[in-house]
Order: sequence, then structure tokens, then C-alpha cells
Amino acid sequence: MDPMVSMYISQGIHGIAYGMILFLIASGLNIIFGMMGILNMAHTAFFMLAAYFCYVVVGITGNFWLGLVFAPLFTAVLGVVMERVFLRKAVGHMGELILTMGISFVIVAAIKKIWGTESLPLQMPEILSGMVNIVGVSYPVYRLFVIGLALVILVFMMLLLYRTRLGKIVRAAVSDRDMVNALGININMVFMFVFGVGTWMAGLAGVAIAPILTVFPGLADQVGMDAFIVVVTGGFGSLAGAFIVSIIFGLLSSYGVQFVSQFAPVLMVVFMAIVLAFRPNGLFGVKE
Amino acid sequence: MNILETKDLKHSFGPLAVLFGVDLQIEEGERHAVIGPNGAGKTTLFNTITGTYHPTSGKVFFKGKDITGYKPHKLARIGIGRSFQITSTFMNLTAFQNIRLAILSKDGVRFNLLRRVDKMQRITQETDEMLKRINLYEDRNTPASALSYGKSRALEISMALATNPELVLLDEFAAGMSKEETADAVALIRKLTEGKTVVIIEHDMDVVFSLADRITVLHYGKILATGKPEEIRNNQAVKDAYLGDLEV
Amino acid sequence: MMKNKLNVVWWVIGLLFFAFFPKIFGIYYTNVMVTLAIFSVFALSVNMLLGYTGLLSFGQAMFFGFGGYGTALALTHIPGIGVLPAIGLGVLAAVVLALILSPLVVRVSGTAFAMLHLAFGQLMYVLALKLYNITGGEDGIANFPVPGLFTESLKSSPEHFYYLAMVILGISTWLMWYVTKTPFGQIQVGIRDNAKRIDYLGYRVPQSKAVIYVLSAFFAGVAGSIYGLFHNLVSADGSLGIGMSFAPIISVMIGGVGSFFGPILGVAIFQLVDELILRYTESTELVMGVILIVVVMFMPTGFVGLYRMLRQKISARRTPEAKKEKA
Repeated sequence: MDPMVSMYISQGIHGIAYGMILFLIASGLNIIFGMMGILNMAHTAFFMLAAYFCYVVVGITGNFWLGLVFAPLFTAVLGVVMERVFLRKAVGHMGELILTMGISFVIVAAIKKIWGTESLPLQMPEILSGMVNIVGVSYPVYRLFVIGLALVILVFMMLLLYRTRLGKIVRAAVSDRDMVNALGININMVFMFVFGVGTWMAGLAGVAIAPILTVFPGLADQVGMDAFIVVVTGGFGSLAGAFIVSIIFGLLSSYGVQFVSQFAPVLMVVFMAIVLAFRPNGLFGVKE
Repeated sequence: MNILETKDLKHSFGPLAVLFGVDLQIEEGERHAVIGPNGAGKTTLFNTITGTYHPTSGKVFFKGKDITGYKPHKLARIGIGRSFQITSTFMNLTAFQNIRLAILSKDGVRFNLLRRVDKMQRITQETDEMLKRINLYEDRNTPASALSYGKSRALEISMALATNPELVLLDEFAAGMSKEETADAVALIRKLTEGKTVVIIEHDMDVVFSLADRITVLHYGKILATGKPEEIRNNQAVKDAYLGDLEV
Repeated sequence: MMKNKLNVVWWVIGLLFFAFFPKIFGIYYTNVMVTLAIFSVFALSVNMLLGYTGLLSFGQAMFFGFGGYGTALALTHIPGIGVLPAIGLGVLAAVVLALILSPLVVRVSGTAFAMLHLAFGQLMYVLALKLYNITGGEDGIANFPVPGLFTESLKSSPEHFYYLAMVILGISTWLMWYVTKTPFGQIQVGIRDNAKRIDYLGYRVPQSKAVIYVLSAFFAGVAGSIYGLFHNLVSADGSLGIGMSFAPIISVMIGGVGSFFGPILGVAIFQLVDELILRYTESTELVMGVILIVVVMFMPTGFVGLYRMLRQKISARRTPEAKKEKA
């Protein structure tokens, strides 16, 4: 195959893999926002924290798979704690935004204190490293794994939302919180669960990206900002919006690096500005 | 002459149609009541007329001019005011500041960044006069959130009237009021709306029959009848659909 | 009449205090005062949006940064430019940026407004780092000339700089206070309380927001410009970083959202706490984070709110007791 074409294709795979990671973070943000009306500014800090947890687990056990399982779980537990202990006390959306931002600052500071500011390498398992050759183009296995993982999570989320009683409650609460209250469902438990799942997804994304970008304290800023832009552009609370925009952004970023190198981050903000100029509430957003 | 007219006004929320072609006609200077059972679409009718929603189809005319889809601020400027069923005042501002915002708009003081508002004597004077007329002068410096229910409703209605509109739409102004409060509010409205056209939505039939010159009955998004109170009282269709239950 | 005379007395005392401040307290505290004044104006510009219109921006630093970069670039590249025109150009840069963004941002509010500014703010930060030829990248722009009004350079005379800065910042503060007293300022408070009703009263909400947005950018630009001159350095981290967007929010929160002078108190407290804690830890992030959490959880109305509440409680306790005694 023409090397140019094969380069484009593999760049595209890179983009989709990155888009999938963005989607994992953004959809976690979105289900929390849709359910509770809270934009969790600490979400990306949790995302980064999971990468560090994974680093620790791998350091102790030498097993990436254990990291993949346990790091997101630890993160989810912390997320739930934050929701129970801190977030309940915040008044209004402004209070929530500022409080979660404060928590984000504290997490980042703690990470720097504990692990320093160095980039920590995370070895991916043998089976996922290397390349695989499909119809003449070679792909990095790990990126394909990330895409697969995200798709599995997506299916899992869909099943959870559309096939379970809990999912029904969550969807009902998104459209009418009072009604769910009126049905006598313990909404606080549902909130806690949703917060846990949302943070867990951020954690998965953190673990997934760690072997690609290494683990460092700028991770939250670098990737997190992209995820926030995804949410704004796709529309608050919209999973479909988050999915589409994540893929677009993933591709923009990987091809952007190819053609305009360091100005790739600018492309996303420009894209966001154009979308919002025509649809102030995002691609799939409804009015607040 | 009709000051306000709607022609085949329709509105739906997604698949749920609420107004099925309403032809409302309001004569200049009259007090007109829109009545109907819950869910008849009264508030939706108000909302489509006053720019909260853009009607799905149909037209709204004010003094012969097509005003369909005008935004609220534009309607306010051409002389249409409204009050809300659920009190919608500025809770953290005092009664005086609430009314003053309406007076400022009436006098066209909007983007003034040069003068201090408390030094504008004419505005202060007009605001105080209004407060006296609505018996809120003693509560001049009370925050709206601390007013009694009757008083906060009076403030709600007065804000709509303080901009001096030609046409004012009052959405259930007596909602939740006691008998005495209602009587006071009716007297207040009589006093403040002299020479203006008033459209009210109301459930309290005593209020409707004491205040309205004409009545329109809305029933499941359509007009069932329009006429003088006597005609409505004796209208068989209205009795069957609605009034009969209320033993007027 | 009495009240007016008393006011004049306070004004004179205040002016004398600031006029003789450098002589009395010496150079170190003079510089502290300039810093406080800069961040007061910056925090007030945030409060103009947050407290008076209800718009929370996570990217106010971009206007602060534009003010700084504009001034620094003017002084670097325009030979013989005076300090006032240079400040003017910096502020102009901030205002132009606000004008460009205003049609977009005034259509959204709440969370989307905050996030949009976070994104734009980060964009400006990234651009400042990458456009090396203009902005000097990570190093920023440093050692540009700082001419005085009457002297060749203000660099070696912090006292002169103090007077220049205090006059400009003082006027800015007074102007922002004045705006809250105008009819327009009243309408802003109305928008914060109930934007829907403001619309029904005949005011154009988006346009009002746009005006306040640009005004806020103007004053953030003033603060940024003076800040750049003060340090003789404008850099991405120093003027455009995300911390610079949050520092004024923290000050406003500590002082009390919506009260005019609360944010100034907040700036003083925040700077003090920052100064004290930084003796024990390197991490400004930690300090900011902890303050944000504590303030939101335990004193959401800030010190001004706390003060009002205490006063109310005391007067409420007094009245029934007084009545009892009479009985």
C-alpha cells in the first residue's frame, strides 16, 4: 500500500483512539451533569489520579490488568466520598463549580507532592505492545485495544441506561427530577451511584491513556481541557453529542498535529466557537 | 377596534398540542377575562402572545400590526405588559428598587451609565407615587423576599402596570390570595388600569364576574364561547363543559 | 449636610493616607499596596460580572493578560511611547478581545458561560506560549522600558510608580463603583436576580450583558497592564494562566459576592493567607484549592455575608430581650 495512505490511516486510528478516551471522560462528565446538574470540575483530576493509581498498582503487582480493574474503582470510591462529604454542602451551581474546582486544585497539588512532577513511564502488557498488520497497514495493538475497551464501556452504559430499572430512574431523573422524588425513590442513593459510575469512567480513561502519554501532573490539563471542550461543544448532558464531538476532536488532534503541528489545540477551540456561534447550547444541547 | 387579536393561533410542545387554533379578540379599553378548566391552555395562550414561546403557527396582532414572535422586551416597548402566576419579582431588591426598574423602563432610561440613579429625582418621585398608590410605601425598603404574600402579589401586578402599558395581561393575579387580599387586589387593578385594556386569566368566578366586561371561555385549546358575562352565564355549551360544576 | 461634611472628612483622610503611605511604611509595604490595588481592581472586574450580573467566568485572565501583553508590546515596539498611551493600548487590546467574544458569550449563561471562558482562556494561554515571535513564549516579554510621566524611567523609582498606579487604579475603582449606582447598574442587578422579568420590563438582556462584559474586560485590562508594568514582565504563566483566572474568583468569594467592597477585603485576606502559607508550602494550588473548598462549604456569602448575618443575629437577640425587660 502507498505509504502516504497507510500513514493517513494509522493517523486516523490514533485520532479515533484519542477520541474514544475523550469520550470516556466526557460521557462520565455528562451523565453526572445530566443527572445532577453538576459540572464536576474535578473530573479530570480524578482522571489523572487514576493514572497514578494504576502506576502504583503496576509498581506493586507488575500487572497492568490489575491496574485497569482496581485504579478506576479506587477513583470511583474517592469520587463518591467527594460527592457525599463536600458536594452536598455547596449551594447553587456556582458553588458546585467553584467547590469542585477547589477539589481539583487540591488533588493536583497532592499528586505533585506525592509523586513529584516527573513523567512516570507505565509499561503496557506484552500482549498489547507492538503492531498488528491488517490488509497491509500496521496498527499499534494498544490503540486498537483502547478503541475496543471504549466500545465495550459504551455498550455497557447503553445496557445500564436502557435495560435496567436503575437506568430508567436515571433517565427519568434527567428529564424530571421532581417526579422521581415523588415516586419515593431514594434519589441520594441514585446520585451517589451515578457519581461513582461517572468517576469510574474517568478513571478507566486515565488508565487507558497512561501507557500512551506516560503519567505526569499536566495530564489533567492537557487531556482534561479537551474533554471539557467536548462537553461544551456536544451539548451539556448529551451522550450522543459527546460521542460525535469526541471522534471529531480526536481526528482533529491527530491530523492537526500532522499538518499544523503545535497549533492543533487551537483547532478544537475554533471548532467549538463555530459550533456555539450557531448553536449556543452545543450540537445536541437543550436549553438549560 | 380590536387592540389585540390572535388568528388561528396554535401551539404544541413536541407531539403534545395545547392550542388548536385560537381566535381571540380583545377590544380596546375593555377588561377581558379568559377562563377555562385546568389544562385548557390559558397560560400557554398568554405565553405565545407575550413572546415566551414562539407559536407553532398562527398570528398575533396588536393594534392591527403583526407582532407574532416578538421578544418580550420589544412587546414591553410597544405597550404590552404582563404579570406572572408565580410571583416573579426581584427577590433581593427592595420594593422601591423593584418598581423603580419598571419606572426606568417606562421613561426609557436603559443604558444610562452617566448619572446616579438615586439622584434622578423624577424617577424617585414617580416610583414613590406608584408605591403609595399600591399601598407599599411603608414597605419601601423591604426586600421583595420579605414581603407578605398579598404584598408580593401586589408588587408583581404593579410591576406589570408601572411600565404604563396600553395592554396588560395578568395571569391569575389572585392565585393563593385570601378573600380580603383578593378584594384588595381587585380594587387595586380597577384603580391602576383605568383607560387601559386588561386581559386576565382567572379561576375565581367572583373576581371574573365582578371585573370583566367580556369573557372568553377556553376549553381544550379552543375557544368555546366569547361574550358578556350574562351571555356566558347562560351559554349552554359553557354550562355543560365548565361552569355547571361551579354553580355560578 | 452633616453627613456630607463627614464624607468629605473621610475622603481627605483616605487621600492623605494613600499620599503619605510610601513615606510612612517604606518601600516593601508600598509594593505590597500596589499589588493589593492591582488585584483589587482585577477582583472588582470579576465581581462586576459575577456579583452584578450573575456571570461566572473561568477565563478572566485573558483580559488581564491582553492588557499586560498589549502594554508590553507597545512599550517594546513603539519608540518613545508614553506610559499612558501604552496602558491605553493594553486596555484597548482587552476591550477588542471582549468585543469579538461578546456576541458569542452573551447568548449563554451559567455553566456554559464559565466553561466557554475556561476554553478561550486556555486557548489564549496556549497561543501565548506558541507564538514565540510575538509573545516571547515561555519567557514572556521582559525588560521593556517603563517611562514615567515626568521622569525618564520608573524602573528605579517604585515610589513614583506607586503614585501612577494608585491614581489609575483608584479612578478605576471609583468608576466601577459609580457604574453600580447608575440605572444601568441597577438593571444588571435585576438580570442577576431575574433575567426573565428584566426582559418583560422592556430591557434587552443580551445587550446589557454585552456592555457589562466589555466594561469588565476594560478594568481587567487596566489591572493587567499595571501588573505588567509593575513587574516589568508579562508572561503566559504570570498573566494568562488558569490560576490568574481563579485568584480573583477566590478573592470575590472570600469577600462576598455582590457587595461592592467585599472583594477588596477578599483580596487582602487572600494575599495575606497566600503569603503566610507559602512560607510552609510551595504549592499555591493547594492554598487556592483549600480556600475555595472552605469558603463554599462554610461561608458561601463570604466575610461580608458573615458580617451581615452576625449583625442581624445580634440585633434580633437584642430586640426580644429588650421587650422582655419592659414587660
